[in-house]
Amino acid sequence: MTTLLTMIGKDLRLLWRDKAGLIFLTLAPILVITVAGFSLANLYGADPTGQTAYEFPFVDEDGSALGRELRERLAHETAVNLRVLPSRTDAEQAVRDKRAGTALVIPRGTDAALASGDAAELILYTDPVKYLERLNVRMRLLELRDELTTARRQDAVRDVRREMEQAQADAERARTALAQAQREGEAAYANAQRARADAIARGQASLERSRQTVEAEMQRAADAAAAQMAAEVRQQVDALRGPLRHYLDTVQERRAEFDRWIAELRRLAGSHAADIPPPPQFPEMPDALRQLAGDGALPIRLPSPPPLRLSLPAPPKLELPAIPTPPAIELPEFHLPAPPALAGGLKIFETNLTGGPLHINTFDQNVPGFSVTFLLLGMLLGVSLGLLDERDWGTFERLRAMPIAAPTVLIGKLMARFVVGVVQMIVLLAVGWLAFGVSLGPQPWALLLPIVGIVFAGCAFGLVVAAVAPTREAVLPVGSAVVVTMAAVGGCWWPIDLEPRWMRSVALAFPTTWAMDAFNDLMIRRRPVQAALPPTAVMLAYGTLYLLVGIALFRRRLRRVA
Amino acid sequence: MQSLEPAAAPNSPGAPLVEVVDLRVRYGERWALDGLSFTIGAGEVVGLLGPNGAGKTTTLSVLATLREPTAGTALVAGHAVDRDPAAVRGAIGLVPQTVALYPTLTARENLRFFAHLLGLRSRAAADAIVQAFELAGLAERADDIVSTFSGGMQRRLNLACALLHTPRVLLLDEPTVGVDPQSRERIVAAVHAQTAAGTAVLYSTHYMEEAERLCDRVVLIDHGRTVAIGAPAALVRQNARVARLAVVTRRTLPPAWLAGVAGAHLLTDTRPDAGDGGNATHVAIDDLTVATQVLERAAALGGEVMEFHLHQPNLQDVFIDLTGRALRD
Repeated sequence: MTTLLTMIGKDLRLLWRDKAGLIFLTLAPILVITVAGFSLANLYGADPTGQTAYEFPFVDEDGSALGRELRERLAHETAVNLRVLPSRTDAEQAVRDKRAGTALVIPRGTDAALASGDAAELILYTDPVKYLERLNVRMRLLELRDELTTARRQDAVRDVRREMEQAQADAERARTALAQAQREGEAAYANAQRARADAIARGQASLERSRQTVEAEMQRAADAAAAQMAAEVRQQVDALRGPLRHYLDTVQERRAEFDRWIAELRRLAGSHAADIPPPPQFPEMPDALRQLAGDGALPIRLPSPPPLRLSLPAPPKLELPAIPTPPAIELPEFHLPAPPALAGGLKIFETNLTGGPLHINTFDQNVPGFSVTFLLLGMLLGVSLGLLDERDWGTFERLRAMPIAAPTVLIGKLMARFVVGVVQMIVLLAVGWLAFGVSLGPQPWALLLPIVGIVFAGCAFGLVVAAVAPTREAVLPVGSAVVVTMAAVGGCWWPIDLEPRWMRSVALAFPTTWAMDAFNDLMIRRRPVQAALPPTAVMLAYGTLYLLVGIALFRRRLRRVA
Repeated sequence: MQSLEPAAAPNSPGAPLVEVVDLRVRYGERWALDGLSFTIGAGEVVGLLGPNGAGKTTTLSVLATLREPTAGTALVAGHAVDRDPAAVRGAIGLVPQTVALYPTLTARENLRFFAHLLGLRSRAAADAIVQAFELAGLAERADDIVSTFSGGMQRRLNLACALLHTPRVLLLDEPTVGVDPQSRERIVAAVHAQTAAGTAVLYSTHYMEEAERLCDRVVLIDHGRTVAIGAPAALVRQNARVARLAVVTRRTLPPAWLAGVAGAHLLTDTRPDAGDGGNATHVAIDDLTVATQVLERAAALGGEVMEFHLHQPNLQDVFIDLTGRALRD
């Protein structure tokens, strides 16, 4: 293990002293990424800084809101450098002079036509030679058109809806007012009813009180008249009772005197008294007469007027004219029509299923792509030229004659390059992240998987190249050709989907394809680490295969050389 | 094959640390090594000489376990290279023909790296690195990038890297190619220091003078076979080489101008010298004293000697004699 570490340390030290090699591993790819990123920026629409934007003449003959809005939106597009020109002639000339690949004219009346529901056209001057520019601008314009028309439709619908809602609100307010009026009418009616009832009650009570008053007055008058009549009767009776009493007293005295007389007569008649017929009997004074003539209470009841019970008839029930029932207000139901269905713009709703942004920029592709390219160049050339250096320097022969296991030399060199390759990839991706805003995905550490995979495969393939290419002069063309092919076909320089189907099938034989697949999954599609596992496994498998083939070829070559 | 092999290496107290017996390596239809045999004892330096394509590097590769032999035996420190390569690698120090260093690392970083691979840790590694810098004379440049070093400095460091663990067997593949004399001296001194410690050294080189001076024995191979083996001086003697005198005169000498000079005979006729217009004649002489007589004779004959070159017989002569003058590419 110490020997292996010594071998690795030696190779790392050699690389550290190789300033050109370090530049090749780091600055060169950064330079190429930068150059390629800006050079190929228009392949993806534009670079993020806008430095590769297309010159885009713009003529607004309409001078309408549509034109202003379109102009404002285009001014914010990094893909185009908007040049407002005064006339369509200028725009045509700009395209003819190749100063621009496309130019846009908004004809007079466009906005009005659209507003009235008529069709309208924008004029796009194009230079078919600038095909990519034409496609990019046209696509962006179509997107803008979609956005604008959709926005306008939405505005129109929103306006109608707002008006409808306003009408609805007004109707609702009217309905509310009616309801309020109805409630107030009902309240007034109730009040009137109550007032009427009160009035009736009060009138009735007043009548009753009047009746009672009248009745009492009449009763009092009747009673007074009866009392007066009784008093007068009593007075008259009393006036009669005195003579009556005197008479009766006289009668009484006379009767007594008669009795005495009779009694005298009998006596005087002596024996004949019996022959004397009984005198007539004075009738007994009836007690009643006696009582009547007495001082006491009259034994008779003086006639008195019968008690007068005046009872006025109940006052007639007051009746007020009935309050007319308030009219029942039938609240209207406002059924406003639905907003008119405008002919909707057919807009393609693009759903990005990857979790990443919809639009990527050139560096999202180029940073991992050229990092892998230069990694492979570094690996292939580093391993093979490193071994050739060892051979040319004679150190390989010296090492083989030393008491160390033969594979240790190879493994040490490969491991050193492996470490360097991993560091190189980390540095390049970090630079891409810091300088070009490339995403490292939701789990940046997951990038270590494809890094390890492609570095391992690259190291092992470097051994194959070293075994196949016998000289330094052979390594460069063989290695470069292999790397260029693997990188290009594997999708390091452009999206692999640009390639024909058969080439994509061929690309599966290259570890670069799997590396880019993993990097794109993690960095662009923002997928989790699981997405990188299968391609990493494939890369490791390729690396193992290359390693076995490389060792076999290298052994054979060593035998030949020795 | 000429063999002046002693029964055992002179400094070897026991069994040889390198033993190659009938070693064969085939590249397709061609035999790169075809029955090579030699031994190296502890503390012995054996030079491996041969023209390009003779099999020197293949021999070193087999001994360094970089290539398996097709047939034969190669033992290093008692371990067969094809059966126990790990043990062999632990015993050897290989100095490849190329400067096997990391040019963008410092000298210290290179040494530390190789020390770690050789199993040296912390204190042992630090001590070995210090010693290596002393040996290579690079202590002051220890923290400089290797690519800024001169060729000689790189060669010295290249050697030092192989000596960090004090190997029992040191395999050097032309370690002094393109270096300045001072660096060469330092390298040679370092090899000597290793042999003094008992290290067996196999030293492949094209520098015959260096081999003659450094090696206890040389193995001269060609077409994968051992052509001659033995001590350099013995090989020179065995091939009966004589000294040669090249005499350049302003005027042409007569055809038999050496007649009467004992111990000298013409190797070539007098012919125009390519240099400054004189005429050159090559003479074989038996003894250095004869050279004076030859020069005096030339002067006496009015040749007016402009210059002369005396060439003592050496290992290179033997090498050329035994492997021929045909170019080997």
